[in-house]
Amino acid sequence: MLILSRKINECIVIDGRIIVKVVRVEGDIVKLGIEAPLNVPVHRQEIYEEIQRSNKEALTQGRPQLPKVPRINPAPPKKEAPKTE
Amino acid sequence: MKTVAHTDEQWLTVRKENVIRMPLGLLGFEEIKQYVLLSSPEDDPFLWLQMLDDPNHSFLVISPFVLEADYSPELSDDDVSFLGLESPDDALIINIVTLHGGAGTTVNLKGPIVLNRHTMVAKQVIPMNAAQFSLRHPVPLSA
Repeated sequence: MLILSRKINECIVIDGRIIVKVVRVEGDIVKLGIEAPLNVPVHRQEIYEEIQRSNKEALTQGRPQLPKVPRINPAPPKKEAPKTE
Repeated sequence: MKTVAHTDEQWLTVRKENVIRMPLGLLGFEEIKQYVLLSSPEDDPFLWLQMLDDPNHSFLVISPFVLEADYSPELSDDDVSFLGLESPDDALIINIVTLHGGAGTTVNLKGPIVLNRHTMVAKQVIPMNAAQFSLRHPVPLSA
């Protein structure tokens, strides 16, 4: 891992297009400003771990009883099966 | 080619073109890459995203628009090209539901599953605007 020392308001440039700036240091919290092109996703690492945990909790065995959910959008009217004469 | 999947109550024949391929799996289930999406009138509006090779294991999912009509996750360009989406109509979005027993039911709006309905390739994405969505959005229940 590359380790760099930065002071407040100093930056790191990644790939010529992503700028990470040390905005503030408060105790053990470092505030970073990140400038990246709109198509570059920037997420906290925890979000991946949270979704991973949530998926594991959601895994279902068999078919448990499901709760009843009121709909916001009314279901489209059911089509009548074509009549056969 | 046909593959057979079953639930406790029934056996189903799943046509190959109905198999959902998730090349990256779900987060935490990276090794499981094939699913089928099953619906039944009595489970509506929920659907089951069932592991193709392990029919006893599924994820309960729901169309987010049943709960939040204006839900609009923004996909990164990488995800759009990974999924081969050419227009928003190509995408089907479903979100994983967690049943917390007596403690209610929630849906994960932070990590939706986006399916290209033409190619049947899907990915659990983290939208660009994920920060504004809840991991445990409560599902309102009828009395």
